[in-house]
Amino acid sequence: MRKSYSLSLAQRLYLPAVAKGLAVTLRYIFRPRFTRQYPEEPIPKTVATRGQPRLRLNEEKAPACVSCGMCEYACPAFAITIDGGETDRMIEREPKRFEIDMLRCILCGFCEEACPKEAIFMSQELEMAGYTREEHVLGLDRLLRPNEEFEQRRQFLEGNHQRWQQDDNAEAARSGNKDHHYSPTGSSR
Amino acid sequence: MEITWIRAALTLLVGFGLMMSLAAGMSLVERKLSAFIQERHGPNRVGPFGLLQPMADLIKFVFKEEYVPNSVNPLIYKLAPAIAAVPAMMTFAAIPFGFLDGQPLVIANINIGVLYVLAVGSLGIYGIILGGWSSNNKYSLLGGLRASAQMVSYEISLVLSLVAVIAVSGSLNMSEVVAAQDHHWNVFLQPVACLIFLVTMFAETNRHPFDFAECEPELVGGFHTEYAGMRFALFFLGEYIAMVVMSGLMAALFFGGCDVPFLDIADTPWWLGALAMLGKTAFFLLLFVWVRWTLPRFRYDQLMWLGWRVLLPLSLANLAITGLVLALLGPEGGHA
Ligand code: SF4
Ligand code: SF4
Repeated sequence: MRKSYSLSLAQRLYLPAVAKGLAVTLRYIFRPRFTRQYPEEPIPKTVATRGQPRLRLNEEKAPACVSCGMCEYACPAFAITIDGGETDRMIEREPKRFEIDMLRCILCGFCEEACPKEAIFMSQELEMAGYTREEHVLGLDRLLRPNEEFEQRRQFLEGNHQRWQQDDNAEAARSGNKDHHYSPTGSSR
Repeated sequence: MEITWIRAALTLLVGFGLMMSLAAGMSLVERKLSAFIQERHGPNRVGPFGLLQPMADLIKFVFKEEYVPNSVNPLIYKLAPAIAAVPAMMTFAAIPFGFLDGQPLVIANINIGVLYVLAVGSLGIYGIILGGWSSNNKYSLLGGLRASAQMVSYEISLVLSLVAVIAVSGSLNMSEVVAAQDHHWNVFLQPVACLIFLVTMFAETNRHPFDFAECEPELVGGFHTEYAGMRFALFFLGEYIAMVVMSGLMAALFFGGCDVPFLDIADTPWWLGALAMLGKTAFFLLLFVWVRWTLPRFRYDQLMWLGWRVLLPLSLANLAITGLVLALLGPEGGHA
């Protein structure tokens, strides 16, 4: 299709447009750089960052996990393997072996939501580079983190849960469903 | 006699080193400036600010396998990169960098320097055509053909714009053209010729917005599609050196070469003159890169249209007017 434009002489000369374009790119040369220099400039993390799952040590520096297997069951990627055993502590059971295969884990956070003991949390640890497959299967020795690390995350999750519960209750009231119960994964909806 | 030989050898060494380091530096500057224009950092891992990147590139190119595809014409395929790079290097010999003790600082002070640069510089196109043709690849061939058509069309305007400059300066010797520009640069006497030269210089060096020989989106790299390793690097070296030479020509023929504003060429210390020439050359080298990352590529028919319908008549008219004015001013016209 042939359109008929009428261009002014300046437009047909093309050179003013070239100069304008050059001025634009010249301006951009002095603009701040957009690229993040990754290893030196780490990725910004917030409490909402869903990094790799890690286990929490309780106040007595012992694993908070009771090896109930809820996270193992909830994990859609079959990344968690738990061998439970008995312990003399109050909680009676603790994991003898707790492995998360980070090559399988999809960082979905279901384990965190399933855990009744707030023993497993999505940490802010994002980096996972290695040379072998074996070193990506993390055992208890590499999973346990001190209690304080997860305090903020716990509060954040609590806030989330409360909000969801409110929504849920409101919806239940609307639909007149008295037996409606809150579920963190929303599966009962 | 002894002194002149030493001096010639020194100029040759320094000139060659300068040319190679300018070309190598350009590969870094190109990547850096393109990055800056796009708000990126560019290469900054090898050495401080990535300054050693050309070294790393060179080592990579040298150690790459010298792969020759099955269906190529081996002799021409291997020869083409050299044909592309060597003429570009040879033309650098005629670029004057100033005056030392009244003698021009130039590798070869040829009395037809401008002609020499144009003649030898045009040989480089053979490398591109032969490279494209011997690759036995339709895209490479198309790239080579386009390059040749483009260079033929633009060479005419380029030469005609230079003829006007030569007419004004009254000499084909580059150093004399520079000397004639003391205090009045040719860009002010011949603004139209300067503009034409500026446009055609991009086409001559196969650079954006006229890089039809490469044209990544349509020709997947054009003439060098089948090349790898050091041969590929040679094509690029040729291109960068051609850029250096064209920028040098621009600086010497239109922007007074070693002439520093408000200083007599005779009074300028030689190092200041050389620095001025280098600075002017560097500016046009940066312009090459700057334009490349600003303008979109022309369409092929637009390129031909621009070359034959705009630049050629314009340069002819410019030449005619220059001749007319010079004739009216008499034998003492031009710079006198
Ligand atoms: S759900 Fe919690 S308590 Fe149960 S096994 Fe997993 S981490 Fe341990
Ligand atoms: S984050 Fe998801 S995939 Fe990873 S271990 Fe927990 S439940 Fe499994």
